[in-house]
Formats: sequence, C-alpha cells, structure tokens
Amino acid sequence: MHGPMSSSGRGRSHRMGSFNGKPRRKKGNNELTTKEEVPELLQKQAQGLLEKGEEIKIAVSTDLRFDSTYGKDWLLVTDKRLIAFNQSGVLGHDIREVSLTSVEDIEILEMYGNNILKVTTSENAFELARYSKRLTPKFNLAVSELEKLSALKDADSGDGGRGRGGPGAGGRRRGRRGNGGNGTQPGGDKSRCEKCGEPIPSWSGVCVNCVKKSKLIFRLFKYAVPFLHVIIPAFLLMLLIRFVAVLPPILSKELIDNILMPVGTAVSTNQALPETSWGQLQGIADTLGGWFGSMPLGGSFGHLIAIIFMMVGLRVFTMGTSSIRGYMMAWVGQNVTRRLQNETYEHLNALSIDFFHERDTGNLMSRITHDVSRLRDFVANGLQDIVGDTFTILFMCTFMFSYHWKLALWTLIPIPCLIIFTIFFGKKMSKVYHVLWKRYANISTILASTIPGVRVVKAFAREQYEISRFSDLTHQVFTGEMNAAKLGTLYRPMMEFITYSGSIIIWLVGGWQIFQGDLTLGILFMFQSYMMQFFRPVYTLCQMNERFIRAGTSAERVFEILDTPPSVADKRDAVALANIRGAIEFKDVYFSYDSEKDALNGVSFQVQPGEMIGLVGHSGAGKSTLINLITRFYDPNEGTIEIDGHNSKEIRLKALRQQVGVVLQDPFLFAGTIAENIGYSKPGASRHEIIASAKAANAHDFIIKFPDGYDTMVGERGARVSGGERQRISIARAILKNPRILILDEATSSVDTETESKIQEALERLVQGRTVFAIAHRLSTLKYADRLIVLKEGEVDEMGTHEELIAKDGTYASLCQKQTELSKIRAW
Amino acid sequence: MNEAIKVADELEFLDASKVSIGRNAFEELVVQLPDGTIHTKVEPVRSFPVSETTRYISLLDNEGNELGIVEDVKKLTPNSRDVLTEELQKRYFMPKITKINSLDGQFGVTTWNVETSQGDVEFGIRTRYDIVTLESGRVLIKDADGNRYEIENYNKLDPKSIALLQTQM
Repeated sequence: MHGPMSSSGRGRSHRMGSFNGKPRRKKGNNELTTKEEVPELLQKQAQGLLEKGEEIKIAVSTDLRFDSTYGKDWLLVTDKRLIAFNQSGVLGHDIREVSLTSVEDIEILEMYGNNILKVTTSENAFELARYSKRLTPKFNLAVSELEKLSALKDADSGDGGRGRGGPGAGGRRRGRRGNGGNGTQPGGDKSRCEKCGEPIPSWSGVCVNCVKKSKLIFRLFKYAVPFLHVIIPAFLLMLLIRFVAVLPPILSKELIDNILMPVGTAVSTNQALPETSWGQLQGIADTLGGWFGSMPLGGSFGHLIAIIFMMVGLRVFTMGTSSIRGYMMAWVGQNVTRRLQNETYEHLNALSIDFFHERDTGNLMSRITHDVSRLRDFVANGLQDIVGDTFTILFMCTFMFSYHWKLALWTLIPIPCLIIFTIFFGKKMSKVYHVLWKRYANISTILASTIPGVRVVKAFAREQYEISRFSDLTHQVFTGEMNAAKLGTLYRPMMEFITYSGSIIIWLVGGWQIFQGDLTLGILFMFQSYMMQFFRPVYTLCQMNERFIRAGTSAERVFEILDTPPSVADKRDAVALANIRGAIEFKDVYFSYDSEKDALNGVSFQVQPGEMIGLVGHSGAGKSTLINLITRFYDPNEGTIEIDGHNSKEIRLKALRQQVGVVLQDPFLFAGTIAENIGYSKPGASRHEIIASAKAANAHDFIIKFPDGYDTMVGERGARVSGGERQRISIARAILKNPRILILDEATSSVDTETESKIQEALERLVQGRTVFAIAHRLSTLKYADRLIVLKEGEVDEMGTHEELIAKDGTYASLCQKQTELSKIRAW
Repeated sequence: MNEAIKVADELEFLDASKVSIGRNAFEELVVQLPDGTIHTKVEPVRSFPVSETTRYISLLDNEGNELGIVEDVKKLTPNSRDVLTEELQKRYFMPKITKINSLDGQFGVTTWNVETSQGDVEFGIRTRYDIVTLESGRVLIKDADGNRYEIENYNKLDPKSIALLQTQM
C-alpha cells in the first residue's frame, strides 16, 4: 500500500527489532503515563510490603524481562520504596525492594536495543527494570518523577549523576533524558505516531497510515487553482471533443440506412433511384439547407457526399480542438511543475543539515524532477482523462440504448470481463514492473559505485568479480523482462479476444434481430463501431486506481519535503546579533545524532573572544559534532551554548552564519569561475577584495598562472585544481567573509608539507582577532592555538595550553609523543 | 580584543605613476618599480583575462614571482601604458566573432566558419563545454587547438548567426 516505506531511513532505533514476535500493539498503547493499572495479583503482593498510608505513586510496566524474553515486568514506586516485580517461572515473581532513602543514584543504562534502569545504594546496586527502546520516553518520565520523589535531584545537581564517571559496565550512562519525557528525536520529529502508535517512517515524518491519499491529491489541486482560467475552458473543450468523437458511427448509420441500403436495393432490382431522406439528420440538413441546396449533384448522391463531408468535418474539428486543448493543458502542466519545483527547492534550502544526512542525494533529486513531473502529468492529464473517459462511455451508452436498448444490453455483456481482466492483469503487471524497476536500479547502483571506484577494482584485480556481479544483475533483469513479456504478450490478445467476442455477440444477436425486422443494418454497424471504441476508455478507467496511488505516492514524497519543518529554525523572538564578539560558552551540552549513541556527553567550556582553540581527540570523539553545534547545523539536546551571552537558539540563524566562517577538509567548489567561488561568501565583493583575499590565502600566485586567471572555470568539468589549491581557494572564501568565528575543520590534512606550510601561513593571517576553532589530527598544526581542548568519547578530557597539557602527562601528552615518533619515521 | 583584518587593506597595488615600463633591444619588457629596482624579462598577466582586460595586471619577474599588480592600465604614464597595452595584445589573442557563416556538426565535432574582428577563420570545437555563455550574453569559445574566440553579445549578432549559435547552446 505504501511502497516508498522501503526507502525509509537506515535503522533508527525505533525501527530495530524490538518488537519481533510481539503481537500487534493495541492502538493508543503508547500513551505516556507512569501510573498504569497494576494487575490485582501484584497489587495484593505489593500491599503486603507497604506500611499503612503508603501509596503507590508510580507504576510502570516493562516490555522485556531479564531473561531476554518479551513480557511485562513491573516497577512500583511509593514515597518510601521501590518495588520491582520480575517474573520467574510461570506465575511467580521475584520481588525486590529498595528503600528510597538509601538510593544514591538512579541511572538508565542505554544499551544495544534495550535499556536497563539501575538503582545504586551505598552498599549495592539493583537492575530493576529492563525495557526495549520503545519505552524510553515512559521510563525517562518515570525516572524524573522518581528523582523528584527521592529528592535526589537536589543532592545531585552539583555535578554528580551525569557526565562524570565514564560509561558504566556494559552500557552507557544515561546521556539524554527526554525533555519531560516525550520521545523527541534530535531532529524534533517523533518516532511514533501519536494517533495510531505505529512507527513513522523516518523519510516521511508524518504517519503514513494517518495520511489520506485523497487529501494529498486534493492538496495537489491547490497548485492548479491559479490556472483555473485555462483549466476550465480546457475541460469544457474536452467534453465537447469527447462528444463529437462518438458521433461518426451515427453518421455511418444514417448513411447506410437512409442512402446506401435503399439505393443498393433499387439498383440491384433495376428500379429508379429512390427518394432518400435525411432521416434523423433532417434538422441539421434544414439549417445548412443553403449549402446543400446549391450542391451540384443533388439527389441521393448529393446526400452521400454531404454526409461524407460531415464526417470529414467532424474529424477535422476534433483534431483542431484537441491540439488547442493539448497546448492549453501543457501550459498548465508546465506551470504547475515550475511552481512545485521552485517551492520544493526553496524549502529544501531552508531545511537543516540532518534532513540531508538522512536521505541520499539521488532520492531527493528524483523527488524534485521525477515525482514532480509525475504530478504534473496527473494534474494536467490524469484527472481530465478519467472524467473524459467516463463521459465517452456515457455518451456511447446513451446512443446505444436510445437506438436499440435490447442490443445495447447484449453488447455490454463482455464489458465486465474486460474490466475484470484489465484490473487483474494491471495488478500483476505492476508487481512485475516494480520488481523490474528495482533490478534496473541495482544495475545503476553497481555502475555508480564501480566506475568511480575503478582504481580500487583494478588495483585489487577484482575485475572478474565485478563482471560476474554485473552479469548476475543483467540476468535478473532478463528474467524480469521475460516475466513482463509473458504477461504483456498474453494481455493484448486476451483483450482483443474479449472485444472480438463482443462484436460476435452483436453479429449474432443483431443478425437475429434483423431477421425479426427489429433492427436496421445501419444500427448494427453503429454498434460494431462502438464496440471497437469501448476498449480504450474502459482500460484507462481500470488503471485509474493505480494512477491515483502513483500520484498519491509522488505527492507524498514531494509534500514530505514541503512539510518537514527545519529542525533548527529561528524562534520568533530571535535576536539578530549584528556584531558577534566571539565569546562562546558550552554549558553542560548533550547531543546525540540518533538517540542511540551520545556524540556529546555533558561538555562545558568557555572561550574568550579572539581566542584560538585547538580541538584534539580521536575520530568519533565529538570534535566535528562540537563544530556542528557552534554553526547550528544542529541544536543541542540538553544544555546550552551561549554566544556573547545569548543562548545560541535565540540568535537569528542568518545573523549567526553570516559571522561564522568554515574551512572544511575537502572544500567544495561550485561550477563557476575562481572569482565567483571566492566571492560566494560575500555577494557583490569587488575584484579588489577578491584579489586581496586570494593573496592573503596564498592563492593568488597559482591563480594567475592559469591562462584564464581568476576567470578560470572550476568545479565539475572545469579546470583541474589540486586539493591544496582548492583548500586555499576556500580559505580565500573564508577570509573574504571576514567572519567573527572561524572554524577550521582539518583544513590542512590532505595536502603535502610544502602546501601545508603555505596554508598555515595563510591561516595565521586569517585567525587574527577572531575566535577560532581548529580541528587537526596533525598536532603541529595547532601550534598557534591559545588553548587545546582534548575530547574523549564526547566528553572534555583535558583542557589547557600545550605546555600545561604536556606537563600534565595525560591523553594529549601521549598523543603528542606518538606523533613525534611517527614524524621521525616519516621524516625522510 | 584586536580588530580582525580588513581584507581589502591587505592588498597594495603598485603606484602606477611611479612605474615605468619599457622595452629593451631583446624585445623584453623592462620594468622599473617605485622602489627603483629594475627588472627585465617581465611578464604581464591579466588576473581576469575574460572579465577585466585592462585592470588588475600582474607583473611577474622572469622567475614567475609577482612584482606587483597594476590596478588600472590607464593610471600608467602614457609611454608605459602603450608598451603594456601592446604587450598584452600580443599575449592575449581573442578575436571577436561578428558573424557566423556556417556550422557543420558531425559526431560531436563542430566546424565553425566565422567572420571575426581580425578576419575570417574556420575552426573546430570538440565539446559543447568549450562554449561558455556568460549572463551578459557574452560567449567565450575555445577551439580544438586551444585558440580563444569571443562573441561580445550574442543577442546583437544577425538573426541567422543567432539561430546557428542557439543550436550549440
């Protein structure tokens, strides 16, 4: 039903197998309450433990037991104690009791696929409840209530329970405590639907079950509304065309019955030509009497010619109006496309980084190109076709029934077969084509990965392997195509046979009726023509459902982009900080990309304006995350970042980013000239400024050596620019921007030593008077840093100047030592 | 807190009135800089060969090091200016196409028969990416051998030339 589910994001926690084998959840099951109905049996057992007047304040059930089977255990909390019921055996329970006053620490161990709530007293520790990630919000809430009950929070708020102490055995200490306990993800989207409790596909952000396709399509037509002044006339034209298109068989009927038959009989019996009449076309003939009256031939032959002219006239009219209508609808369609594409692209630019991290570029590109054009097709043609075909069938039936209702009934007999077959085959075909489409996609995937990676393939002599992989895929496509061919070659003859059987029925019944004198040859002929025309509109109408579904899916994919709110957005009262001084303070910042693993775990530090900070640590220690938070590509889950004393969330994004400059490890150059690429950071920069910043970035010398100088085209299909040169262009870009906060993310890691020293020189100029964060693996790069922050597993491990840290002989000192040893080896 | 650098202030152009550019017996450029030093075999290089032909001329010594940048040729003394302009005209040859007579394309290679400001010429183009259209209507063309041509504003060509050109863009 919802095909694109398959393209959903990679394993968010809620999509992991926590619920395998569990019966389908009841709707509304995920309501957040920490006071659940406790089973009577347990309640009785609990009562036995309680003192008089003691009341159960919190009762939460788990969905996992300690023996790793799914099932409900219970945790009850009164104002005096914690009671955990853990089922053992079939009915019995292990009951554990911890007095609230003895509790020293409550923590949630976040582990792989499940969490454990652990309580520590001064003497020992209890793991009281084990639950799957799905219950995280509930238990987060329970724990914060528990903390209130035990007054633990006050005693702890100094610096206790949280960040310090490192990871507990087997699991991470609680990093993220849901704000008030609703299951918010870092991006701000919910992992489960509030209405039906089903997981929300991460690509969509809206619950697929609760979204109505018809609603989506209705919404789609909003895009057509501005063009109604063209759509309505086009629609009326279409009705006219459809009506005119069913007229020719009537003309042929008149031709046969009123002219050919009497004339034929007369000629064969050697009688004088009969006086033919206009039959039922007399009215039209009268109005056009002037024309036909002056016809040179007159008599029966004149009638023949006149009717033939009318046939030609109708055809020409249909052709002419169809092309005019086609042009009108093409105009509407292209306008809708343009609006949708522009709107989608505009919104795409407003979205935050996390949106792009969760989706691949190809997917997004196809939404803006492929899906949008499918929607255009639906808006411009789809619906009108459906209405038009319905009318064609109605017109035909009306004529058939009005001329001869008995024969009409007989004629319609094969139509249900036609419908059933079309629907049946249509379903089969779409399945086959869906499989086929995936297989073609696999071929593109393999080409897209091996052609750019050809050096690796060749270097490891894996050509044969790749060839056989490819050949397997082409074989799959082959079998898929043959399946489609099997159905396709069967389908057409079947349809033709059904249509043919219809005309056989007409011959049979109609012939019999002629014997009865109940039917004329002309009407028989007219019915035959209609039978032939029946097939196409019926076929289109049978495809209607599929068309709706396809358009609905495309609409979903496009509207998803439009509906996703930027996870990092300006608050309404955000301040536009015009001149940032560059003081930055992290206050107990927690951040996690996926709510599974914490990237930052309670980071606090202060940076003075103009200070240069070196960020050191192993990969994955959180350096880049820290920078992503400063630039507000993401917002912290907990804690605050203050820039010049303002919470970063309260600063206007545009104002902030205008004053933050970034030089990345692998800088990106747009297709355009070097001058344009440097000037990208400052719209309207003068050539003077561009040359000056290129000079400051040590880029000028190599730029003017290109024959086209600053006018050299770079980027895809442009001139070859080496990594170091790209790097210096991007530094020039940052210099031109003159940012207050500068971020150097491995700015010199992929270049040779000589280039590095040139870049270093450029950077030295760039860092003056700004707050700088520099990430570097090569510690020598950080020699100008005022202070170093050493990160380890998302926490600040050490902080201080180079000398201080060396003297401390900790992580940094050992890192330094290792690098010195390495550089000795490399020093040749 | 010290103020961050103002980028444009970092760049100093040569004081054009104090630069003299001449030519020696070997047809080499001889430049005397404001500080009095004399350099021979100087190469003038346009920073923006496409977009700015008379400004931001970089002077390189015979080792390729930049001596300085002349902000605007017009600011030089008349003698120097003439020498520099002449030298630049020699170094940068980019005829202006005034009319396209015919375009013959086969297998991706197009043979252009055109009239230019410097006379009629025929050349071949290997890929359409060698034809760059700028927003102003200016078209830059690089032929198969690396020669450059330009069309100042293709909207101002005659209709036939425009029609021919549009098949290539």
